[in-house]
Amino acid sequence: MGPYNSDIPTGSSGSSSSDSSSCGRKGSDVDGFLAGAGYKVRSSDLRQVAQRLERLETFMINGPTDISQQLASETIHYNPSDLASWVDSLLSEVNHNQPLPVSSSDLSEFSSDFHCMEDLLPSPPFQQYSDLTDTWIDQTNPQPQQQQLTAAVAAAAAEEDSGIRLVHLLMTCAGSVQRGDVASAGSLIDDMQALLIQVNRSCGIGKVADYFIDALTRRLFSPPAVCADSILENEILYHHFYEACPYLKFAHFTANQAILEAFDGHDCVHVIDFNLMHGLQWPALIQALALRPGGPPFLRLTGIGPPSPDGRDSHREIGFKLAELARSVNVRFAFRGVAASRLDDVKPWMLKVGPTEVVAVNSIMQFHRLLSSEQSLETVLAWIRSLNPKIVTVVEQEANHNQAEFLDRFTEALYYYSTMFDSLESCTVQLEKTVAEMFIQREICNILCCEGPARVERHEPLVKWRERLGAAGFGPLHLGSNAFKQASMLLTLFSAEGYCVEENQGCLTLGWHSRPLIAASAWQAVPDTAITAAAAAPAPHPLPVPQSPLVVSN
Amino acid sequence: MAGGNEVNLNEAKTVVPLNTWILISNFKLAYNLLRRPDGTFNRHLAEFLDRKVPANAIPVDGVFSFDVVIDKATSLVSRVYCPVPVDEAQPGIVELERPLSTEVVPVIIFFHGGSFAHSSANSAIYDTLCRRFVGICDAVVVSVNYRRAPENRYPCAYDDGCAALKWVSSRPWLRSGKDCKVHMYLCGDSSGGNIVHNVAMRAVESDIVLLGIILLNPLFGGEGRTESETKLDGKYFVAVQDRDWYWRAFLPEGDDRNHPACNPFGPRGRSLEGLEFPKSLVVVAGLDLVQDWQLAYVEGLKKAGQDVKLLYLEQATIGFYLLPNNNYFYTVMDEIKQFVRSNCYLLKLQNSSNK
Repeated sequence: MGPYNSDIPTGSSGSSSSDSSSCGRKGSDVDGFLAGAGYKVRSSDLRQVAQRLERLETFMINGPTDISQQLASETIHYNPSDLASWVDSLLSEVNHNQPLPVSSSDLSEFSSDFHCMEDLLPSPPFQQYSDLTDTWIDQTNPQPQQQQLTAAVAAAAAEEDSGIRLVHLLMTCAGSVQRGDVASAGSLIDDMQALLIQVNRSCGIGKVADYFIDALTRRLFSPPAVCADSILENEILYHHFYEACPYLKFAHFTANQAILEAFDGHDCVHVIDFNLMHGLQWPALIQALALRPGGPPFLRLTGIGPPSPDGRDSHREIGFKLAELARSVNVRFAFRGVAASRLDDVKPWMLKVGPTEVVAVNSIMQFHRLLSSEQSLETVLAWIRSLNPKIVTVVEQEANHNQAEFLDRFTEALYYYSTMFDSLESCTVQLEKTVAEMFIQREICNILCCEGPARVERHEPLVKWRERLGAAGFGPLHLGSNAFKQASMLLTLFSAEGYCVEENQGCLTLGWHSRPLIAASAWQAVPDTAITAAAAAPAPHPLPVPQSPLVVSN
Repeated sequence: MAGGNEVNLNEAKTVVPLNTWILISNFKLAYNLLRRPDGTFNRHLAEFLDRKVPANAIPVDGVFSFDVVIDKATSLVSRVYCPVPVDEAQPGIVELERPLSTEVVPVIIFFHGGSFAHSSANSAIYDTLCRRFVGICDAVVVSVNYRRAPENRYPCAYDDGCAALKWVSSRPWLRSGKDCKVHMYLCGDSSGGNIVHNVAMRAVESDIVLLGIILLNPLFGGEGRTESETKLDGKYFVAVQDRDWYWRAFLPEGDDRNHPACNPFGPRGRSLEGLEFPKSLVVVAGLDLVQDWQLAYVEGLKKAGQDVKLLYLEQATIGFYLLPNNNYFYTVMDEIKQFVRSNCYLLKLQNSSNK
């Protein structure tokens, strides 16, 4: 008979309808009402959580007056959805009442000079973050002239009508394509082309529609060979996408932050990058390692990527440049390139992981490419795990583009890429923007025009990746409020209003106008006995990884 | 204050269910971390801690949602929630070409709470609440992601509210009924309730027709200390000094709580007599320490001859409407449904008698 009003039902199995990103189906275990508010608390834990909240409140009232500020500014918070853990972490902060040890190195400690490889990476000056005030920067509202406003509103309304009709036609056409009704689809495409003339194709719905009509046309009338990508072109497109919008920068930045923390205290570290490209991610990590208290470790970087068609060893070139950078900041560094057309062609022995090395595996938008066969992903995850990595950083598009039904993929892609194109509008460098759009267009075409192994852009949302990685023996390493804050501040500095970082149960997402578009997460291998326990419970604290000799298997 | 707190914590526990107590205590704890004594706000931590959910164009429990940019210049976004019509051929695709239906479909413009500083339109608690409104009222809900204090003080939130109101009133696809108009209501809780009043005032001055306004535990205040503030200070999750902080963060710097935005019928307020103010439903929680100001608001409307219904819930605390685990929740939802749908019924009668 507790103190709570037991006449009032707690309603533990209410439906939590709106949280589309929750794994709420874990069972009637979790309090349904709190789940609808975004919190996962087991019904059986409710009393304990309440008691701890009370205790925490008492401490805060009776403790030193600045305890709130300490908890706010010095503590790193993790995964607020797991309310029990969050409250516990605050309680232990308050109990110990000591400031946290300064984290080993922080990307925020960067000084303003940082050497980049070459002019590929025009680095904007990183300011000292202590200079920034902790405010959310909002633009002030300019007051337009009244007449201009009315005309603009009228024009916008007309445009909106055409835009709405275009979306409707696109969906109808996609439906015809799914049914195999080529005649109807073709006629709808004609209608859409006619309508496109009436809208502004250089931005907004007109631009998006243009690309999607193109994709539909290709699917209906072009042979699949059209989807084949040239590796060199791909690299150029990728690079412009990197420059034009913050998605890849966010990915690199967040992954590097997590890797840095994982490498803390270790002298011999090895990063395995699943898609080297131009190695854009690594100068920042090298710099950060150079600056860490206690000195940098010996860093080995293994970069995986497709072999160059023209025979030159592009990996070596990149390795040289990174080595030069490392030398200039006194970081002992070794590089190896592994040429492989597909990730499942890679065998762990190729990576030559040393027995005392601490390993980080980094996958930026690579895992989804393995999904044309479930076996491929499982194989790769298994050998990653066999390397016993300290951390696996995973960044993936936050979208469900791998559905079997064409219409479902089409709908999802339309919403997703509309949002992405919208965000690109804020890019001011025309060339970067145009080429970045080509990069995006390739993804769209692959999703909509290709099938089978040729369809590599099989994006899946965070919810699914959590399941897959959990099943493969990985547990989450939560990204905390410090990483969140740094990512947010970076965005404020370099990107337009409208981008937003969100915390999602230990992972961070970057989106545009509250639609997450890319999700970053970190993982570690869990000991075998803990796998079944981890699968059954809500996300636990990160489990300790035993430092046993590495077993490198084929 | 320290000594009395043991008792205070126990009191709140006896009037709310366990999970509600946890939810609101959690907010209280988090909010304490975010407010700084110097008046600044830890926005990064606030955004990190806030539980958000994305829009979902796929209907869940008969409701789907999508986000729209209403004003690019201020990045003003709103989340639109729509019911799925029974005969919808392609679920999830809004038939934006034509009006909603020949039946009247009310459009509720919603302003979330958070004392002007916390939460967003995509906060989980408000996404859930708006979805409930759609189901209960058979309405479209437009939840406005207004600019927040302290970074954006008065009148930014009201400006955003007005922008949203203008936007909603000019959408052809939000029209319904045989009169082919947009049938609009305003609704808001806590600071959202305050925004509702102030936007309604502007609507009256601009000839935009509002069919009704709903204020749930609206935030009002004033310079004096009322009996309820004194009696209930710190007892049911809320302390007066916290309320003061939020007003200082929202109102123009240096101004006090008798500013008409905060105290519409106070010494600097004005009478609404003679104005065509929409009918209002005001919900007051009996354990909310600002209730005296809320009741004064209701009185002010009555004195001005306005149509106002007060729903006073004796043992309700703040946030009771967030979880459907108490009787007050259902009472209020029923009242809101009646309030909104009664107009639809009247319009239907009018239209059929006009044939």
